[in-house]
Amino acid sequence: MTSPRTRELGFLIPAAALGLLGLASVATARADEFDLGPLPAALGVIAVFAVMHVALRLRAPAADPYLLPTVGLLTAIGLIELHRIDPGLAEDQAIWVTVGGAVFLAVLALIPDHHVLERYRYLIGIAGVALLVATMIFGTTINGSKLWIEVGGGQTVQLGELSKVLIVIFLAGYLRDKRELLAIPTRRVLGVPVPPMSALGPVLVFLVAALVLVVALNDFGSGLLFFGAFLAMLYLATGRVAYVGFGLALFAAGAALVYAVVPRIQDRVGGWLTPFDDPAGQGFQLVQSLYALAEGGLLGPGLGRGFLITESGNTVIPALQTDFMFSAVAAELGYIGGLGLLLCYLVMMQRGFAIAIEATDGFSKLLAGGLTAVLALQAFLIVGGVIRLIPLTGVALPFLSYGGSSVVTNFGIVALLLVVSNRTRMPRRTGVQRDLAPDWGVADG
Amino acid sequence: MDRSLRNLYITLTAGFVALALLLGYWQVVAAGGLQDRAGNPQTIQRERLVDRGRILSADGKVLAASRARRIRGQRVFERVYPQAGLAAHPVGYTSVQEGKTGLESTWNRFLSGSFGTEPLLQRLNLREQRGADVHTHLDTRVQQVAVDALAGQRGAVVALDPHTGGVVAMASAPTFDPNDVAQDFASIRARPGAPLLNRASGGTYPPGSTFKVVTATAALESGLYNPASRFDDTGSFRNTGGPITNFGRRVFGQHTLRQALTNSINTTFARIGATLGAARLGATMSAYGFGERPPVDLPEGEVAVSGRRRDGRLLRNDQPGEDAARIAIGQERLVATPLQMAMVAAAIANEGTVLAPHLMSRITDRGGSNVREQQPEEVGQAASARTARQLTEMMRGVVDEGTGTAAALSGLSVAGKTGTAETGDTGRNQAWFIGFAPAEAPQIAVAVVIEDTTSTGGGVAAPVAGAVMKAALDREG
Repeated sequence: MTSPRTRELGFLIPAAALGLLGLASVATARADEFDLGPLPAALGVIAVFAVMHVALRLRAPAADPYLLPTVGLLTAIGLIELHRIDPGLAEDQAIWVTVGGAVFLAVLALIPDHHVLERYRYLIGIAGVALLVATMIFGTTINGSKLWIEVGGGQTVQLGELSKVLIVIFLAGYLRDKRELLAIPTRRVLGVPVPPMSALGPVLVFLVAALVLVVALNDFGSGLLFFGAFLAMLYLATGRVAYVGFGLALFAAGAALVYAVVPRIQDRVGGWLTPFDDPAGQGFQLVQSLYALAEGGLLGPGLGRGFLITESGNTVIPALQTDFMFSAVAAELGYIGGLGLLLCYLVMMQRGFAIAIEATDGFSKLLAGGLTAVLALQAFLIVGGVIRLIPLTGVALPFLSYGGSSVVTNFGIVALLLVVSNRTRMPRRTGVQRDLAPDWGVADG
Repeated sequence: MDRSLRNLYITLTAGFVALALLLGYWQVVAAGGLQDRAGNPQTIQRERLVDRGRILSADGKVLAASRARRIRGQRVFERVYPQAGLAAHPVGYTSVQEGKTGLESTWNRFLSGSFGTEPLLQRLNLREQRGADVHTHLDTRVQQVAVDALAGQRGAVVALDPHTGGVVAMASAPTFDPNDVAQDFASIRARPGAPLLNRASGGTYPPGSTFKVVTATAALESGLYNPASRFDDTGSFRNTGGPITNFGRRVFGQHTLRQALTNSINTTFARIGATLGAARLGATMSAYGFGERPPVDLPEGEVAVSGRRRDGRLLRNDQPGEDAARIAIGQERLVATPLQMAMVAAAIANEGTVLAPHLMSRITDRGGSNVREQQPEEVGQAASARTARQLTEMMRGVVDEGTGTAAALSGLSVAGKTGTAETGDTGRNQAWFIGFAPAEAPQIAVAVVIEDTTSTGGGVAAPVAGAVMKAALDREG
């Protein structure tokens, strides 16, 4: 029987091969000679994944084998596309991937059992909010949003990224604790079942605090993400659609309020609804994104062969390397490539929820489900934004967008998911090999 | 909690399915429309990288070609038109800002090399991205004569090969230099006389007496008349509308149908029109192609429909309750394009068979092999061969001894018909001539219109037609 880790290796190798192939495609696209410049960095990143793989063999041998190769493939596509946009960006990103690998190892080494996190849930929750407060106080404003903290040498970090994970951990612990109370409404207000305030109160206070901070930081993408993750986890904990409906109604009201008072959001929504009314102004980014997608067509011209950089050296879409990474990839690899990326995120999501369902205790289920929801929502929000399904919010496309904080955090999330998976699957407790096949989804082992 | 997890998973998956569907919409379904939007930098870039095919004249001259330049190490192409304004209207231009017109638009798929399996082969790097060459029937020598003859005036010339439908010349004055479109479009557009308008295919004029050829066709085809049918002119004819008189208020007395065409007698053709009625006249018009956009290989917007219009709307050719007497002499809100009237002349020259006019004769790849070849294409039968012969004979009379003597060519027989339509301004006319030569074995059919002249069709249009037909007949030998 193939062990999970051997299976993982079997998928990591083709992911690495695809990455090198993509790099070759970019290298042959324009230069007359084959450019071997990025090869050492590429081999370095492959080495990072090899180390992560070995670490899993040592620390989490039973963990899900599909997550890491999926992350590897996404990382490879992201690095290649960044290299194609600007080699300097890819070099930075490769360093962040290495740091992410280190965080991945640290999580495996320091948290052999994630249940320890449940014990410190309040501390973690406070830390999560504190990071946002710190950003608000010490933050630097870039592009109108206060998301970054300078850490010297011109480097900045987005603490909000880490705060997301901490808050999911807190919610998992808190909701696991109070889910029985929350699930049974004690009274109705205006026909809406309401759980006892003692259970609901802290959650609401906490959530409102987080949202106020986010609005103060002018980062609506994160706000949406926090809110979505919160609703998802509340639903997971209580199984009550009514809460979600109430939450969505609350969201709609909040959105209307924000729309009414924040001009930046009015512009964004205007640019979303009627981008072609002002293609040179408010609708510019979105229109350029749609043009690039249309030019990609079904099959795309190939990596490095699309028109993404003008003769003057600018990107055809502003914020191409961050918000519009999905457009960049779909412009060069076509609809086929775009679907491929979406499938990668679907696989990642499917594995995440499979880990949650396999898990045997409420905290693990909530933690794995919450972390997966954060990743999936994030991908949905930004992809939906650049293809005009929803208004554009500047959240990072997991593992693709340029930006260290996001990459490092996401490696941490994947490490946590693998720790949960490993704890669930380890035959340690019963001493008998458990049936590893989940009752749905991809059979494993 | 597992149930909730599954529901959440399904919900999020549905979201991703929505993403996949919308992505497919943009990248596949709506892609063409997005690419065609003005100012799309992706399209601009793509077109700059294409070595666009040439447009060539029948006598081997280059009408349009692409010239390579290097910008930052990348090869980009720009379009040049070596013949400048000579065939600007049919050839058209291609510009990122102003779009494409003429053949540059119609055959763009071939010129840009995105036809058949080419895009696939190019993607696989088996083929360079080079466009195919479009060979036209246009002859620069005939074109040059037409352009020179129109110089300083407003008007148009169309010359067709009656046996193939090939457009040998298509000139519209004033013209413009397509090389200037990229830099100077606004100033071209601001010039007087609407130089960008292709008057040959898109200009509509009252056909006046040239339409009597159509009426004569209907008369002969009806079996009620022959060229020797006798008429008595009293100088005026009245049907449902006001009285109809002859040019110069002349009175012709006893004459035949043949003489009625030679002298362009309005009263007689009005009488014939009244007798035939709108339905029979309309059927002949339809057979010649009135009421439909001529199937020429130019963009729709550059080709106008000939026929009767009221309030900008096209009427049916056989619209009942209309004054057929006035239609018969080319009035009653009837307008025609030079191209349509050239088709009338060409059909008579081709034993009554109407052919689709074509600018393109064949398209070749860079290896010289045919990618596409245009065969003559019959679109209708306006007259029997016998009627066509009778019409030819009658039209010879016009040039030999009637209103069109200025179109006569030494040593050759020419068949034709003049037309002089009043513009509404007293003393200002639209002058017409349609015809073909040689009458016994037609090689070339023409239509000429001169706008806003004090002279007549016989005075200004017939000499232009004569010169063009001569140039066309000379090119063979």
